[in-house]
Amino acid sequence: MYTCGIDIGSVSTEALILDIDERKDYKILSYAIIKTGSDSKTAAEKSFKMALSEAKLNRNEINYIVATGYGRVIVEFANKNITEITCHASGVTLLFPDIITIIDIGGQDSKVIKIDRTSKKPIDFLMNDKCAAGTGRFLEVMAKTLEINLENFGEIFLSTKEKVDITSTCTVFAESEIVSLIGRGVAKEKIIKGLIYSIADRIISMVSRVGLEAPVCLTGGVAKNSGIASAIEEKLGVKLQIPFEPQITGALGAAYLAGKI
Amino acid sequence: MSVLSIKTRIIKNIQDNLNLGSIKRLLHTISNKPVLALYGSSIKSITDKYLNIYTIRNLNEVYSGKYPVAFGSLFLPYELIIGLGLKPFLPEIMGGFTAGLGISGRTIKAASNNWYSSDLCTFHRSAAGACEMDLFPKPSFIVCSNLACDAAGKSFQNFSRKYNIEKNFYFIDVPHDDDGASLSFLSKQLENIFYEVSGKLNKKPDIEKLKKTINCSNDFRKFAIQANNIRKELYDYPQYFNGLNYILPFFGLSGTKETVNLYKIMTGELQEKLLKQDKNKKMKKVLWMHLKPYYRNEIFNILEKNNCRVVFEETSNVFWDELDPDKPFKSLAKKMLSNPLRGNGENRIKAVQQIAALYDIDGIIMFSHWGCRQSNGLSRLIKESFNKKSIPVLVLDGDCVDINNCPAGQIKTRVEGFAEILNSI
Repeated sequence: MYTCGIDIGSVSTEALILDIDERKDYKILSYAIIKTGSDSKTAAEKSFKMALSEAKLNRNEINYIVATGYGRVIVEFANKNITEITCHASGVTLLFPDIITIIDIGGQDSKVIKIDRTSKKPIDFLMNDKCAAGTGRFLEVMAKTLEINLENFGEIFLSTKEKVDITSTCTVFAESEIVSLIGRGVAKEKIIKGLIYSIADRIISMVSRVGLEAPVCLTGGVAKNSGIASAIEEKLGVKLQIPFEPQITGALGAAYLAGKI
Repeated sequence: MSVLSIKTRIIKNIQDNLNLGSIKRLLHTISNKPVLALYGSSIKSITDKYLNIYTIRNLNEVYSGKYPVAFGSLFLPYELIIGLGLKPFLPEIMGGFTAGLGISGRTIKAASNNWYSSDLCTFHRSAAGACEMDLFPKPSFIVCSNLACDAAGKSFQNFSRKYNIEKNFYFIDVPHDDDGASLSFLSKQLENIFYEVSGKLNKKPDIEKLKKTINCSNDFRKFAIQANNIRKELYDYPQYFNGLNYILPFFGLSGTKETVNLYKIMTGELQEKLLKQDKNKKMKKVLWMHLKPYYRNEIFNILEKNNCRVVFEETSNVFWDELDPDKPFKSLAKKMLSNPLRGNGENRIKAVQQIAALYDIDGIIMFSHWGCRQSNGLSRLIKESFNKKSIPVLVLDGDCVDINNCPAGQIKTRVEGFAEILNSI
């Protein structure tokens, strides 16, 4: 059967189509990642169409659709809504069956999910508070303030030895702090190193609360930033597993769970 | 006219005319028998109907100016207040009411304008704002304790200054330990308040009235235990049986005949529901810790839609022994000392562990109300204690009064995610 998972996040929307056989073995046929923009409904529709086109399938050939992510409720054509907690857990354990701890850093939220070793289902989770600190949006704002392309942050982090501590947790205050540091002539590279460590610190705090148990997987758009991954690995003292495309795990889980409807 | 439209009109009236005179007039109008009958006729559950009518009548009396009013904090032995012939008024509960009435934004702002820190819990802040806006009836006495909530003593002292009754402000110091010395110390304080307040009311201390109140409280306790016992088997009942809706009678009006009637009616109605319950229908049983948001929210609907039901609340726990009317002060002191929120956090953990076992609980939601340190400070130990028994705990950060401090989308994801975990076990 063909199933589709659609993950509508605050920054990006992903649609993924699976071919699932009777033994529940699966094959990813296609996926699409687009900006959510101001209209989540349109983003869901557009990403679905893109994924269908790539898989060379028609809409009526899809047996079941599961929507997830913060915008899951607005996907009228979905058969079911399932939270991103369950979907991420499902998607990650398909890719890495032994994973116990999942760190997902998205555009406006970050979460840590604990997986049960036996059942492979989530048993605990923690999400960031009502604040964008420690998320992709925080990095975007800082990149804009520093006038440095966000894609270069990883390389800069890895090649810079010294850092300055960013003490403000709040995105707005951190932005002011950075402006002040630039004004004092502090090298932007050191600021970037400090920023990445500040995000890592927030994530580590969440991991500690849920309880660190390896193996650990990092997902979400921010996982593509090698600097963040390195900083988290350094602080946790464990090697992170990162999916080939860290943004699609929610949609993958949703599509797989659609096969169980 | 449906109950919803009557309620909507009452709320709109309060929102549009937010002043003491309007509240008094409104309460007076809706307390008229025909209006109350009309209001009550559209409420299906007799328990819910009785609760609504009782609350309106009680508030009308408190606001009428005909009776001496005592402000009190949540965990007082209200038998003492009622036994003194005072009408209890609980500002913290009224803080919750402001949320339900959709006016907490204004009351919280008024508190902020009067130096109440945003770090203070919003039950207190909203009550303080309402006080500053002169929305509360004028009290003759203010009685509070440090039981569970340390902020009450400070907030309530401010109230006494606001109403210029600093000499009628009583603070009950509840000791940390539960031993003989604590019992004597606490019992003496209650006795002193009883005699001193009687004197200030120019009345002869009426121990017989206090005994009657204590007898009423015992009757209420008996029915509350019966209701709780039925709930061990009952899971399929409407949300209005949620004990979090009964905080006022359970705590603030224990000792009145009406509360006895309320719990008697509740016991009968729950028994009926138990007999009609579909035995094949299974739901995940959730224990709710601490209080809930009192503004319109979807938490309990989300749980229901996801096959979960709050089958018991920490606040519905009858934690005290039967009171001895011949030893009123000692009995009431014992009641205060036996509250699991007193003293070491282990008391609370032990109490909720017992509840979880009695009610065969599948999962716990601990609502972590902003600024409520007596509760939130224990969240880690609570979570760990239940995780040892493989019972999942969701520590749900939010605010019971300020809707702006509790984003609906985030709450929905957390509650749904938790329900998914419970259903997967």
